Amino acid sequence: MGSIKPYSGSFGKPELIHLLRRTLFGVSKSDLNYFKGRSLNQVVDQLIPATPNLPAPPVRAYYNNADPTKDNIEKVGTVDQVKWGETWVNTPYQTNFAANPYGYRGNNLKYWMTGMQLSQDRSVYEKMVLFFQTLLVTENSVVENPHSMYLTHTLYRKYAMGNYKQLIKDITLDPGMLRYLNGQLNTKSAPDENYGRELQELFTVGKGPGSGYTEDDVKAAAKVLTGWNVISSEKVNNVTMNIIPKRGFNKNNHDTNTKTFSAFYANTQIKNDTSITTFPSPFGSIEEYRAWLEIDQLIEMIFNTDEPSRYICRRLWNYFVYYDITPEIESEVIEPLAELFRLHKNDPDQLQIVLKALFSSDYFFKSEHRGCMIKSPTDFNVGMFRQFEFPLPNDSKLEAQYAMWNQVRSYVFNAGQDINDPPNVAGWPAYYQSPSFHEIWLDTSTYPQRKSAYESVAKNNYAFSFADATKVYDGVNSPSYKFAVKMNFVDFVKRFENPSDPNSLIDEAVELLLGGTVSQGVKDQLKTTYLLLGQSTDYYWTDAYEVYLANPNTTDPESKRVPSMLQDLFTYLMSAAEYHLC
Amino acid sequence: MKRRSFLQSVPVAVGGITVTAYGSSPLLEALSTSLSDTDRVLIIVQLNGGNDGLNTLIPLDQYASLTLSNIRQNILIPEDKVLKLGGTNDATGLHPSMTRMYDLYNNGKLSIIQGVGYPKFNYSHFRATDIWMSGSDSDKYVFSGWAGRYLGYEYPNYPVGFPNSVMPDPIAIRIGGNVLGLENQGVPMAVSITNTNDPLNLTGSLFQDAPGNNYMGKEIAFIREVQRQTDKFGDSVKAAADLGKNVSSLYPKASSDPGYLLGTQMAIVAKLISGGIKTRIFWVNTGGFDTHSAQVNSADHTAGTHANLLKGVSDVIGAFMDDAKLQGFEERIMGMTFSEFGRRIISNASGGTDHGAAQPMFIFGSKVVGGVLGKNPTIDPASTVNSNLPMQYDFRSVYASILGDWFCVEDAALDQILLKNFQKLPIVAPGSCIPTSVHEQNKELGENLVYAYPNPFVQSTKIKFETYGGHTMIQIINNEGSVIKTLVDKELQAGKYDVACDLEDAAAGIYYVRIQNKTLQQVKTLMKVNG
Repeated sequence: MGSIKPYSGSFGKPELIHLLRRTLFGVSKSDLNYFKGRSLNQVVDQLIPATPNLPAPPVRAYYNNADPTKDNIEKVGTVDQVKWGETWVNTPYQTNFAANPYGYRGNNLKYWMTGMQLSQDRSVYEKMVLFFQTLLVTENSVVENPHSMYLTHTLYRKYAMGNYKQLIKDITLDPGMLRYLNGQLNTKSAPDENYGRELQELFTVGKGPGSGYTEDDVKAAAKVLTGWNVISSEKVNNVTMNIIPKRGFNKNNHDTNTKTFSAFYANTQIKNDTSITTFPSPFGSIEEYRAWLEIDQLIEMIFNTDEPSRYICRRLWNYFVYYDITPEIESEVIEPLAELFRLHKNDPDQLQIVLKALFSSDYFFKSEHRGCMIKSPTDFNVGMFRQFEFPLPNDSKLEAQYAMWNQVRSYVFNAGQDINDPPNVAGWPAYYQSPSFHEIWLDTSTYPQRKSAYESVAKNNYAFSFADATKVYDGVNSPSYKFAVKMNFVDFVKRFENPSDPNSLIDEAVELLLGGTVSQGVKDQLKTTYLLLGQSTDYYWTDAYEVYLANPNTTDPESKRVPSMLQDLFTYLMSAAEYHLC
Repeated sequence: MKRRSFLQSVPVAVGGITVTAYGSSPLLEALSTSLSDTDRVLIIVQLNGGNDGLNTLIPLDQYASLTLSNIRQNILIPEDKVLKLGGTNDATGLHPSMTRMYDLYNNGKLSIIQGVGYPKFNYSHFRATDIWMSGSDSDKYVFSGWAGRYLGYEYPNYPVGFPNSVMPDPIAIRIGGNVLGLENQGVPMAVSITNTNDPLNLTGSLFQDAPGNNYMGKEIAFIREVQRQTDKFGDSVKAAADLGKNVSSLYPKASSDPGYLLGTQMAIVAKLISGGIKTRIFWVNTGGFDTHSAQVNSADHTAGTHANLLKGVSDVIGAFMDDAKLQGFEERIMGMTFSEFGRRIISNASGGTDHGAAQPMFIFGSKVVGGVLGKNPTIDPASTVNSNLPMQYDFRSVYASILGDWFCVEDAALDQILLKNFQKLPIVAPGSCIPTSVHEQNKELGENLVYAYPNPFVQSTKIKFETYGGHTMIQIINNEGSVIKTLVDKELQAGKYDVACDLEDAAAGIYYVRIQNKTLQQVKTLMKVNG
């Protein structure tokens, strides 16, 4: 066994495109231009940075009445508790609010998630956040608390390129997770095995060939995990106030008996260590601290086996490369990557190191692993907007910005991926359900949704008529008022090398949208059909395009249809099977 | 075998109940129609680029002028090589490469119309193509197609509730990308399928590179299958393709043969028809007619680029007609060729011809009125570079004849479809019509999501519509395809609704109401009349 074989071939445009398609949501012409001429190491260093700082939190961009004088969604009396454009994440709902805003906030968080993806920088960060959402699942519709959802997200972000074991330690007592997997109901007298089981089966050890934990291990883990709960309210001056949920501990509910694990865990015994008599902050009691130390031992015990490293590396391969893990991939990729994972299991940059190795590896760049991944609904839709560098509104047009984020989110939702609401604790089936895996994303109901979305992106005028000018939340002179945006394909192809040459334009468009595996014969047909409109001479396009560029208001019958010809071309390119692959 | 006549003459067993044919039992009518193979089919063959009509249909009585060096001496077909057409006193002939269409002519299966065009000609490929496709006047922009509007008349509820048991197949099939000609107020009326026949890829895709033998290939094959299944007509088209066949040996065989690509398209059409598909209109095309230079071999004017183009068209139409005859569906089909324009009378110095005006049209089928309609043009020896063949017939008169006499559209509806009244020409053999009961039934097929009552109306009418819930839009569209009113544009609960539609300020004439409910669209015709 050795380290994973690094890629040593040439790093040209096809390799760059492959790498970007897998690490980013969609690849734009600007992305390609940005990385042009850089070495593999330089590109990987940028794509897989140390975990970045948290982005600015979601802010209020919603109301329950289009007329501000009637809207009361975040109000006590007439006073806004969360003002328009300010974040709600530090302001729990109180019973004296005119209305419960948690439904709005939960949706707002979803729009924001999509917004973060749409405005991602050139790094794998947002894809890792989504990876954790399908690996360490909680569901908005089950947790029913946007503050909990936000805290769980914060953990995904905090460890995106960080230490996986520490993420597991943190998420084990995350209020959202305690609620989602019944940790808060797990007591000495009535043990609930839910988290103890999923911790091993879905979060760490998995069910791979080397997995050997037993039902008794599930029970023992559940006992270790007893006693914790979620505190959602506190008395302040004798008045009960809702708070941002936090973990709590009830010593009477914790099982202090010794827990014995199976041979898979080297017959480890986890004891409640009564020799410890002082407790650090933030623990509230010595009993709580001792119970936490049991969990710490539990997770250390799990990560002392080799299985979590293999399981996570398989999940990474499945998520980023392909779902078919052959014996060759297992021995040449998973094993050495898992070894690296273990080698760095205590390091704060563990995942950064593992991801860099994966994305610099010989196997990642093998031709058989290119263009074979079916895009998730997020990759398809967010990637489409990023790819076309669609002119989304910025935060000076807050209402429009969130509305467009929601529009994209709804495309993702329609195509079968409800952000912040995976279908169950195992995440989206595409990432685990054998034998179809990623193919599960596409069927006769989701395919038309993707088609409808790309046709809308190509053709729709996204117009928002937010009440009337005096009732717009962004302000009386709001730029959101009557905000409208439409894809401009002429601006888009202006970024191409030589858009007046129909052959060059088709080559670049095909390379960008379809990955460049389309044959010359098909490209010729595309050119003839969409740029020459059935004619056979290239200069019909060249003349039309150049006349149009010189004067977009031209009345020349050929030239004035240049925008619609490009619109038709790109709409058609998106009908290719290849457009669903990356 | 004519299944329809078979049904009318013998008892039919349906679900254990024997139904005997006595006249006009509605049940029998429905049954027999649903099994009918008497439906009329139209095949539209588009010749992209602008065909040089004067070297296609040659006026032999004009050679005194044509042979002049300032006319078209450098491309003229030698008089003795021209295929002289009977019934024209040897004054008119076909290009010598068009032997198969010449045979059709001699068998009364080809109708040739001289000088087809329209007033105020446009010489842009793209604009002229739109005019031919939309059937508009040359100074009007109409954003729907003549065939699309016909299909909207024949099947007003399409695409909602289609396919269905009576019409399980696409109402029109376009081989290649969609065309304006088959659109109706923004609703594509045709299903696109591809232009090769092996394998018959039904996703409407030009993207046919064979999937590789690797992971990517596996996923491409998977996605294409999903696309095919998603295409709700995919299975019925495939069933017809599996059942159908080509028996003619005359189709071009090698990819280097003239007309090879058109041949693959027409072979698909023949195969689908023989497999029992009930599609009304097929639209195919072939390009390369934009012969600005070297359209003939300078040593032999009967050979070269244009000769090969015409040979391709003629060979393929001949092969298709042969297939139709051998398989017994000859009487159900009619075809027409058109190009966006003809070419100039005077050839240019590069041995080619530039964009022109009127052109000959060819209508083929066993139910045509064979012969040549119209007169030879008179070629002025003093023609200039701007001289064009004069228009003798409006192209919309050809459309009107086919719609009226082949598809049997009544006159009032013809005026709506073609936007005004055009006289019909004697192209289709009298008595070729299908019973009006077929149209009466087609009108009811599918689900009726939107209609106006009253209609026709004087000032205002009421739009009655049904939505399945969610975003719903009701628009009023004028004859040019512009939205003039949006009556509804919001989220609605599923259900039936009424909305008033006031067109008091609008001129009398044809309007359309269009409903869009998420991905569903339906368009109906409104008629405002003077009070």
